[in-house]
Amino acid sequence: MKTAAELKFGESATIYEIDKSHPSSRRILEVGFTPGQEIVLLNISIFNDPIAFSVRGTVIAIRKNEANCIRIL
Amino acid sequence: MKTQVIEDLPLITLIGPPNSGKTTLFNYLSGKNYKTVNYPGATVEYSISKIQKKFNFEANILDSPGIISLVPNSPDEKISIDSLYSHPRYGIPDLVIITIDSSQLSRHLLLAKQLIDSSFNVLIALTMVDLLQRKGFEISAANLKDELNCDVIIIDGRTGNGVDDLVKAIDKNLKNLQAQEKNHPNQIHSNFNVNYLLNSFTEFEQIEKRVTSQIQHSNRKINLNKANRQLKVLNNDLSQNKNSQLDITTLKIDKILLHKVWGIIIFFLVMAITFTSIFWFAQPIMNIIDSSFGFLSFESHELLGNNWFSDFIANGIISGTGAVLVFVPQILILFLILGLLEDTGYLARGAMLIDKPLSKIGLNGRSFVPMLSGFACAIPAILATRTIPNKRERLLTIFIIPLMSCSARLPVYALLLAFLFPANESWIAGLGLASIYILSIISSTTIAGLVNKFRNRIINAEDTSSFILELPAYRMPKFSVVLSNSYHSAKLYFKKAGPIILVLSGIIWFLTYFPNNNPKIDSNNLSKDQITQLENSERLSHSYAADLGKFIQPVMSPIGMDWRIGVSLISAFAAREVFVSSLALIFKVTGNEHTLQTSMLHEMRKATIGNTGKYLFTPATITGLIIFFVFALQCMSTMAVSRKETGSWRIPLIQFFLFTSIAYLFTFLAVNGLRAFGIN
Repeated sequence: MKTAAELKFGESATIYEIDKSHPSSRRILEVGFTPGQEIVLLNISIFNDPIAFSVRGTVIAIRKNEANCIRIL
Repeated sequence: MKTQVIEDLPLITLIGPPNSGKTTLFNYLSGKNYKTVNYPGATVEYSISKIQKKFNFEANILDSPGIISLVPNSPDEKISIDSLYSHPRYGIPDLVIITIDSSQLSRHLLLAKQLIDSSFNVLIALTMVDLLQRKGFEISAANLKDELNCDVIIIDGRTGNGVDDLVKAIDKNLKNLQAQEKNHPNQIHSNFNVNYLLNSFTEFEQIEKRVTSQIQHSNRKINLNKANRQLKVLNNDLSQNKNSQLDITTLKIDKILLHKVWGIIIFFLVMAITFTSIFWFAQPIMNIIDSSFGFLSFESHELLGNNWFSDFIANGIISGTGAVLVFVPQILILFLILGLLEDTGYLARGAMLIDKPLSKIGLNGRSFVPMLSGFACAIPAILATRTIPNKRERLLTIFIIPLMSCSARLPVYALLLAFLFPANESWIAGLGLASIYILSIISSTTIAGLVNKFRNRIINAEDTSSFILELPAYRMPKFSVVLSNSYHSAKLYFKKAGPIILVLSGIIWFLTYFPNNNPKIDSNNLSKDQITQLENSERLSHSYAADLGKFIQPVMSPIGMDWRIGVSLISAFAAREVFVSSLALIFKVTGNEHTLQTSMLHEMRKATIGNTGKYLFTPATITGLIIFFVFALQCMSTMAVSRKETGSWRIPLIQFFLFTSIAYLFTFLAVNGLRAFGIN
């Protein structure tokens, strides 16, 4: 299954689930990345990491490593 | 007892997610008289204040760090969350006010729900209604009140509208409270699980739909839709999920500020402008302070006559105070610029841009703001590292912060650069200063990288690095709040450093004046000035300071310096800026018609080592001194804060010995290297 880290610039997707074994998974959920939410990859930092997604009306920057625990449809 | 009075008042705690307008609200409620408090055993700093007098009732209001959830994510977060439940000094809050960004209701309701579930007495302050309106929506506070079963007040952070309503609600709430028994909130982390979280979010989405509605201005809606199409950000399916629209202006700005090429260029420009403006804006004010204290010192010496007391007042007290006050403008301006950058939302972008390079040397994008503050003062910078969740990254950030070129070094560099470069070509000195800053950045990042390599030996801590940071919508900064915060930072600095500097100035004055305070000299055929000068040098060469100097001479000789610089360096270990005032004392510079600095440069150019006739201050030794100041940890307050924040003396002691030996080594290499190339 694809993860949010594989999205291209400007691409959108719906969150399917969060990999609960990832150490940051709870914080990822708490800031609003929950299943069913639409996310858009909005910004890519220089060196391609971190990347920023729109979620629930705001923009949140996370590392690629953390985006990997967001599984998308 | 003063604290007793404070503890008897009702306690209101202000809680809110980051970027929810909490600080602005705190400023409205507290006015300008808040103070920052720490309490033992924890790494949390709070601002506490009485509620403003004009609101006609008494209560303490406590600001708390911005949190996303009441379930702690790290040991440090646990301490700060535990103290929200019951503050070790102020107890259980009688009332909790939570600030919620109305344009991000579904995210921010999490914290509100957790507070209500913990059976806190909660009052909700809805903020950022203007942002919600920009998105084309409005919110009903009454409906939200019914949904959550607690008071909801809309606050406009720009204008202060709604603060009076909030105060009325607080007053009513506190009065009701006195009638009943105090609640004992329960911590909720025991009942945490993922399903609870997911169900909560589903609930919040429903609530959000019920309490917000589209503003019926058709032209506004069309504009937004058009803009969305242009940006291809949101597709049509999202029109039902209406509040998840993003702020269009922010998206447009980020296209440039987070652009792969332009973003990084603008980032470096912003940093460069920040630091150059500190000097441009501060310099005129610093000159005024410098010359007025020079004048005061001279006049008081004239007024009180030639005795030990007048010398103590003029050189010990007045010059000492001047040395502290002179760089308050720089600190103020740096905090002002940092505050403005933070308030607009840019600092979060800066942290994102620099996260990758910083993670290579074991730091985090979140280290960026503390490191930047380190250019003002290491003390608030070390306190600011609390926002870094990973302990190893936090400790490493604390470790290198003393290497950032803090403003206390500025008076030293200003003096030394003025010695090296002619006054009529000040741009060369400016260039010199820029190189010092670059050297400071290179050295701190190199040391961070090296420490990171050997981290198991120096910093032992867990290793799950994380970077999750909201990029808030761009907003016009609220100048009055930023100004008030900068004023408090400067005051805090002045309170912490001021007494140390004054006491040390007194001690150094004593060491240089006694025991031979009334030297016998042959005053035949000498003018009054010559007598004073001869007396001064005679007094100094038999002083306690000279005895101390002879003891440290062996350390100073290899780097081409003598005991007088040595004594100044030792005193600079209390606080770097003392170096300047102590040189002024040792060379008996009393301000006359010139400023302190001009007279000092004059005395320094004349100074020779012992009876050798060799000049003490040469381009080589001055360069050496600059390098010494770049590396050495010469600040007791920094060590004390580092001890407190890292929990033991281990890290401050490693910092002290490592940085100071590097400083000595590089100074030795620089002085002798320059001499080998024929530059004395």
